[in-house]
Amino acid sequence: MRFWKSWIVTTKDLGVFKKNRYILYSLIALPILMGVLVPLILIFSLQAEAASLRQETATTLVNLFTAYFVIIAAVLPTIIASYSFVGEKLEKSLEPLLATPTTDGELLFGKSLAAFIPCVGATYIGALIFVVIIDAWSILSIGEFLIPNVYWAIVMGAVTPLVCILSVEANVIISSRVNDIRAAQQLGAFVILPIILVMVLASTVQTFPLVTLALILTGALALADVAMFYLSKATFQREEILTKWK
Amino acid sequence: MIETENLTRKFGSLTAVENLTLQVNEGEVFGFLGPNAAGKTTTVRMLCCLISKTSGKARIGDFEVDSEENCLAIRKMVGLLPENVGLYESLSAYKNLDFYGKLYEVPLQKRQENIERLLKLLGIWERKDEAVGNFSKGTKQKIAIARALIHEPQVLFLDEPTSNLDPEAAKTVRDFILDLKKEKRTIFMNTHNLDEAGRICDRIAILKTHLVAVGSPEDLERSTSNRKTVVHLENITDAVLAAVKKLNVVKNMRTNENKLILDMDNPEKDNPQLVKAVVKAGGNVQFVTELRSSLEDVYLKLIREAETK
Repeated sequence: MRFWKSWIVTTKDLGVFKKNRYILYSLIALPILMGVLVPLILIFSLQAEAASLRQETATTLVNLFTAYFVIIAAVLPTIIASYSFVGEKLEKSLEPLLATPTTDGELLFGKSLAAFIPCVGATYIGALIFVVIIDAWSILSIGEFLIPNVYWAIVMGAVTPLVCILSVEANVIISSRVNDIRAAQQLGAFVILPIILVMVLASTVQTFPLVTLALILTGALALADVAMFYLSKATFQREEILTKWK
Repeated sequence: MIETENLTRKFGSLTAVENLTLQVNEGEVFGFLGPNAAGKTTTVRMLCCLISKTSGKARIGDFEVDSEENCLAIRKMVGLLPENVGLYESLSAYKNLDFYGKLYEVPLQKRQENIERLLKLLGIWERKDEAVGNFSKGTKQKIAIARALIHEPQVLFLDEPTSNLDPEAAKTVRDFILDLKKEKRTIFMNTHNLDEAGRICDRIAILKTHLVAVGSPEDLERSTSNRKTVVHLENITDAVLAAVKKLNVVKNMRTNENKLILDMDNPEKDNPQLVKAVVKAGGNVQFVTELRSSLEDVYLKLIREAETK
């Protein structure tokens, strides 16, 4: 595997995304919504809380909303990866690309990386804004920083990128079966729905301690990523693309 | 430069290419003719290592079409213009070519030189920074040809290079292929356009899943033994007709206005004898010409024969 070859594909795809307003707006809007609006609403509601209960409620809510960044990391690839793979199919640019002296793995890795980088990047920017606003409020209001904590670190450091990878891989498989970007996005959303449900339920019901939950999720996602990697690799092969992709 | 031996590709129960054996020499422009679904694109895809073969052998230069390592080497030495141009519409012509130049491992300076040379040659240099989506079909086709040439490949595969182009754009592309011919590149061209194949190609193969015929356009035109000798006379007299009928070498004769149209087995050898006989009988010969089957006649005849077999 020559990573420099993959990187050529990645930079080309990033250049194509830059020219696509729909992708740009999606990358900006979702993280800003979660990073700015959500903490402001959170702070507004916490101000009404009695000072003695404020720290406990704030910690619970912040942990709950941390899970929502995982959802962003799962949703954004459905937008970008569908453009990356179905877009190539629509422009019929896959055949000349496959005719170059690159391996299937190099092309797949390059294209997946191009979908992964902006999605995780945008999620982290949103999360950073969230942290800055929440901590600015908490240091003034409670006298300590609420985040980062261990749960937050595991979610952001492991769960978020793993979910993003899973979503990108799912989109590779979906893209092989559909010829329409919106259909790919809808199917992608359907695939990530279980992840969203698990995150929301787990963070609200709290059957396990949150850190344990985050570690279990990390392990499960890592396994799912490996399984999906082999599935997407089997799908993204020259022969398959040129003879079986719809 | 390109060799195949019993090359076969099956898709389930469907045989797309069957026992194809051919040889394309270095510097040759080789035309691949055949109706839709004859297996032309499948053959090109096998030769470019895009899809695997079911059986048989194929070789490009020194490399057998088999292992991943050989396929990478083959893809490096061939350029492909697929049927659909497949350019990145939101990127500029320059960026499209630069991207492919990088993938083909062309060093930066050489890449810049090649892009400039090709775009200038095709008359697009002034518009190099414009998004490809703004260009006409013909211009996109030219950029796609430039893309196939960005790494100066030894072998060029062109799949329907002038299909869907207006006559002017088609001519530009044809002229460009003729320029490439002068550079002694090996060109393997799939086409439906018989006139184009006849004008550009050194040799032509006719495919209908299996190889139906192969030869130079002239050889193919002669191959259906429909060659006739036409003698243009000032007047056709009974004496001339009688003299011609006496000749054993004339298999069949008909007249049309002041022309004698004659079927002969070996016109190169027998035409002098024919002319002497006509002149001796008092005929005033104006022209002696050859009436050949056109490439189109040959193609249609061979394809019909292949279909009925």
